[in-house]
Amino acid sequence: MDDLSKSSAIASAGMKAQSKRIRVTSENLANANSLSNMPGGEPYRRKLVTFRNLVDQELDAVKPVVRRMTEDMSPFGRKYDPGHPAADENGYIMTPNVNPLVELMDLREAERSYEANMNVIQVSKQLTSKTVDLLR
Amino acid sequence: MAVSFTNAINAYNSAARSVAEGRPEPAVESGQGSAFASLVKDSLREARDLGLKSEEVQMKAINGQADMRDVVMAVANAEMALDTVVTIRDRVVSAYQEILKMPI
Repeated sequence: MDDLSKSSAIASAGMKAQSKRIRVTSENLANANSLSNMPGGEPYRRKLVTFRNLVDQELDAVKPVVRRMTEDMSPFGRKYDPGHPAADENGYIMTPNVNPLVELMDLREAERSYEANMNVIQVSKQLTSKTVDLLR
Repeated sequence: MAVSFTNAINAYNSAARSVAEGRPEPAVESGQGSAFASLVKDSLREARDLGLKSEEVQMKAINGQADMRDVVMAVANAEMALDTVVTIRDRVVSAYQEILKMPI
């Protein structure tokens, strides 16, 4: 495989990783208000996705893969809502540790990385076809 | 190994060089036709294989089993391989026609 098609393959692995990140972000955003329905129950816990570099033997290149999805162990928020079924004896409920602003910034970053990888594919495709056009 | 456009160009280059040096091409190779014919046949077969693979990935994507990015990559690879083979064939055929037109 020549280097230009290799770089497209690596970029497509990067796009896959970033789309996973977008998926996790959307999960966090959509569950920003998911609460427990019994006292003492935990609400939705924010998920995190981490990448690592993997040497692809077949491709002879290093590409990103999703390591695993971890959970954000930061403390939950607290809200006074005595009428809620999950309220404790003092009338407080725990709210998810999701900050929609942080999630949106994460989403934007993933979008930009995805676009950057798309540009890599576009450039390598363009260069390949221009090289073939040299024959014409 | 997948057909790559640099390989194809190298093959074309070596074919052109042997013609330029006046070295006679091995016209018949074990009764299978000329070296050029087998070059075209082989690269066309590899291009076809890539095309079949891309169709396979497309079918998987329709069933929701494949990644959209895999489809794009497979289709782009198949397209590029076919494009390369067609360009080289055109080029060599036009060289052959030039030779035919040569006044004796």
